[in-house]
Amino acid sequence: MMVLAQIVLAQSLLEPDLGLIVWIGITFLAFLFVLKKFAWGPITEALTTREQNISDSLEQAEKALTEARQLQADNTKARREAEAQAQGVLREAREEAERIRTVEVDKTRSQIQQMQDTAQSEIEREKQSALNSLRQEVADLAISAAEKILRENLDADRQKKIVSDFLKDLPKN
Amino acid sequence: MIKRASIFVLLAQLTLLALPRGVAASSDDQEKFDALHHSANAYYLDIAPLDPIELPRIFIVRYEDGSYGLNLFRSTSSAILNGHYVSEIDAGHGGEVQGDDHEVEGDTHAETQGGITGEITGELIGEITTAQLEGHLVPPGGSHVVLDLSISRHLFFAWLAMGIVLLIMTRLAGMYKKGIGRETAPRGLFQNMFEGMVVFIRDDIVKPNLGDKTDKYLPYLLTAFFFILTANLLGLVPFGATATSNLMVTVVLASFTFVFTQLGGTKTYWMHIFWPPGIPTFVKPILMPVEVLGILTKPVALAIRLFANMTAGHLVILSLIGLIFSFTNIFGSGAGYGVAPVSVAFALFIYFLELLVSFIQAYVFTMLSALFIGMAIQEHEAHDDAHQEQQIEASASPEAEPVFAN
Repeated sequence: MMVLAQIVLAQSLLEPDLGLIVWIGITFLAFLFVLKKFAWGPITEALTTREQNISDSLEQAEKALTEARQLQADNTKARREAEAQAQGVLREAREEAERIRTVEVDKTRSQIQQMQDTAQSEIEREKQSALNSLRQEVADLAISAAEKILRENLDADRQKKIVSDFLKDLPKN
Repeated sequence: MIKRASIFVLLAQLTLLALPRGVAASSDDQEKFDALHHSANAYYLDIAPLDPIELPRIFIVRYEDGSYGLNLFRSTSSAILNGHYVSEIDAGHGGEVQGDDHEVEGDTHAETQGGITGEITGELIGEITTAQLEGHLVPPGGSHVVLDLSISRHLFFAWLAMGIVLLIMTRLAGMYKKGIGRETAPRGLFQNMFEGMVVFIRDDIVKPNLGDKTDKYLPYLLTAFFFILTANLLGLVPFGATATSNLMVTVVLASFTFVFTQLGGTKTYWMHIFWPPGIPTFVKPILMPVEVLGILTKPVALAIRLFANMTAGHLVILSLIGLIFSFTNIFGSGAGYGVAPVSVAFALFIYFLELLVSFIQAYVFTMLSALFIGMAIQEHEAHDDAHQEQQIEASASPEAEPVFAN
């Protein structure tokens, strides 16, 4: 152990060397300042800038994505609403048409009814008037026949003949 | 720590086994191999088989008359030949270099030129010997060195690591300045790889520990991580050296963490140290020195952990290679050839392990620094249990946090 220590010490591995300490101390300090100014400064600054850029871009992309999703959702919602509205309109139109049709049918029916009624009453009236005029005619005929009978009241044959003639003279209808 | 220290001792023992006296002192064959020596600091770049490249020597000297001066030399040779410095061979080095190596022809020449005292050994390289190159330089006359600011191998590789990191990171910053990776996606292997590391440190190491104070300490922690990683990896490159296997370098790094920790310390932090809440008053004076010691042990542990880890791997690799030389010396060259494949295979395995350790240690240093600073800057008044709960929450919640939150 002692021999070992002696050899290690002897070989200037552990020998104090103030000159070297001074040199390394000064040059390392200078080295540190030069590197800080010309290397680490620009490098770390650039890295920070780039990282900032990247994180900003990511954030923006995230925001854009959210906006796009929102937009899509809005669009879908609007389309659904429009569809629903269109369906509503269609249904209303159908109902309206149905209503109008019903009304028209009713109206027509009542018109027809009215027309029928009118026709009926016309017919009735015509019939009445025809009956009246027929009665008149029959009465007149009866009177004139009676008159003729009365005038030719001489013989029965003759009367018969007269009546049958008369009947022959009657119009067929 | 005890465990780590014991591992270190074990590795050093392995080194001893690998380098029995026969090798260390082997005089006349060239199969001299010394793992510790290779890991140690020196004032030249080893580019064997070429001659070493000597590094500049800078000394602040106090002359005999009491005045101070700055002595600059292009190399160790220059200091010896022109500056009349004397290379003293340390007693410690003696074990290896003071042996009866070849007496060099240039010996007398060097002595007259450079005033070298003592026994000069080693191979002649240029105008001085390897032993002189390894030796401790002492100025001539009665003057002595106040501060040795010489550029050493580890300093050179620390600067190389700084240069590489600077080059890579300014290029990376340039890409961001042009807008690539700022407005657009990052492009290419280079940017993606380093951005990944930077972001990992920021989001997985610093942010969980420091929260909203991240920006303040991030530059230091990033710098520490990349410097340590690069320095570690440079040690795995051929002809490279590991600056982080030098205790001085790791001590400076740990000191930075220490300073940042103390400067960032909040009232709560100091309160916990000097008057810990929630315990009986008579215990507080006992706990205080313990807490103060705790401030110091954290950076010390940081420094030693990094140093020991980076040294240990290299020692193991070098010792495994050293086995070849040991076997050759003890049992003959046949055994040397026999053990070589095994040694190389093991060394390769350790090499890959070291590659992993390089990353792990850079991570660990950064993580612990962030943790220590984070503990010091916590604002709220709460009991220790609450601290722990908070930390568990903090460590459990990163998934829950938005990734891009800033």
